[in-house]
Amino acid sequence: MSEERIIKYAEAVLAVASAENDGAEVEDELFRFARAVEGSDDLRLTLSDAKIPAARRQQIVEDLIGDQATSATTALISMLVAAGRGGDIQRIADQVVELGAASRAKAVAEVYSVIELTDDQQIRLAASLKSATGKDVEIKVIIDETVMGGLLVQIEDEVIDGTVRTRLKQLREAF
Amino acid sequence: MKKRLFIASVAGALLLTFGMAGSASASGETLEGCLLEDWLEEKGHLDGDHGDDHGGEHSALHDEELLKEIKKKCIEAPSPILPEVNEIIWGGGAFLVLLALMLWKGFPAVKKIMDERSEKIASDLDQADQAKADAQAVKSQYEAELADAKSEAARIIEEARQQAESLRADLQVRAETDIAEMRTQASVDLEAARERAMGDLQAEVADIVVGAAERVVEANLDAEAQTRLIENYINQIGSE
Repeated sequence: MSEERIIKYAEAVLAVASAENDGAEVEDELFRFARAVEGSDDLRLTLSDAKIPAARRQQIVEDLIGDQATSATTALISMLVAAGRGGDIQRIADQVVELGAASRAKAVAEVYSVIELTDDQQIRLAASLKSATGKDVEIKVIIDETVMGGLLVQIEDEVIDGTVRTRLKQLREAF
Repeated sequence: MKKRLFIASVAGALLLTFGMAGSASASGETLEGCLLEDWLEEKGHLDGDHGDDHGGEHSALHDEELLKEIKKKCIEAPSPILPEVNEIIWGGGAFLVLLALMLWKGFPAVKKIMDERSEKIASDLDQADQAKADAQAVKSQYEAELADAKSEAARIIEEARQQAESLRADLQVRAETDIAEMRTQASVDLEAARERAMGDLQAEVADIVVGAAERVVEANLDAEAQTRLIENYINQIGSE
């Protein structure tokens, strides 16, 4: 799907979320669902398989999300899957987050970590990143076991890597 | 041809000479011829002088005496030195005829033959000289060509030797260059192999060390350690 269409889908999602007065939470839940889809090839193929009836794919989405997200988020994801955009959910979610942050004059900081960050940690991390980059950021935590420990932050094209994985890689290269 | 003509002329002259002599001898100069001729001549005179026979005994006696006289006359030998006049005449005539023939025909022919022979010999000698000169010239030319050929052969051999020497030198230089390149390449290959081996060894050591480090880290990265790493990261970013 073209980038232009991705943006239009993202804008539509944001418009619905704003109408529900729950934009930030929808963005966060959509972002997390997109990361879950990204980590599962079977789920991604299932949601983008046109041979599976749309109702069945929507049912799969609702069963997966359950009560872990707002009804608005569930309805929006179900709508995207029914429209045949299940394979583009990651790109749409990323675009939604970027557009939402931009509307609040902020940049998105994707934070890869083995464990969840507390709210306090996210606030202090956002402050540290603003101090380092000069940008107001919104933290989007992505659970990634491969980082082994520490954090990896990506803000647009800038990457700040403080993971144990990278330290071990540097140690390997040092030999 | 001229030799045979000369022999034929001499044979003709001898035949003419003895033939003429034979004619003179056949004129009745043998003993029997002389007796017969003189007898008949005397008997003819007697028959003419007496006319008849006066007695048989007297006639026989007379014949016997006449025969003795005739025989004595005929037996008397001619001069051993001076031939008969007729022989001198015939011999001289024949000699003169023969001499005339020889002077008229023989000598010019012989002289012509001799002259032609001399001219031919001189011509042959000239031709032989010319042939000798030509042969000498050809020999000189051959010798010159042989010398040129020898010189050319020597030059070709020298050029071939120089080319062979040059080729040998080139090949030697090339071989030395190839050997140097092979040595350099072998050294490079050896160094590369050594580096690869060292790299492999280092990678293997790194795998072992890093693997051990990963296992140690994973074993010690509990929630508290993770929180501590996160806090360190936040503090480090904030302090930059």
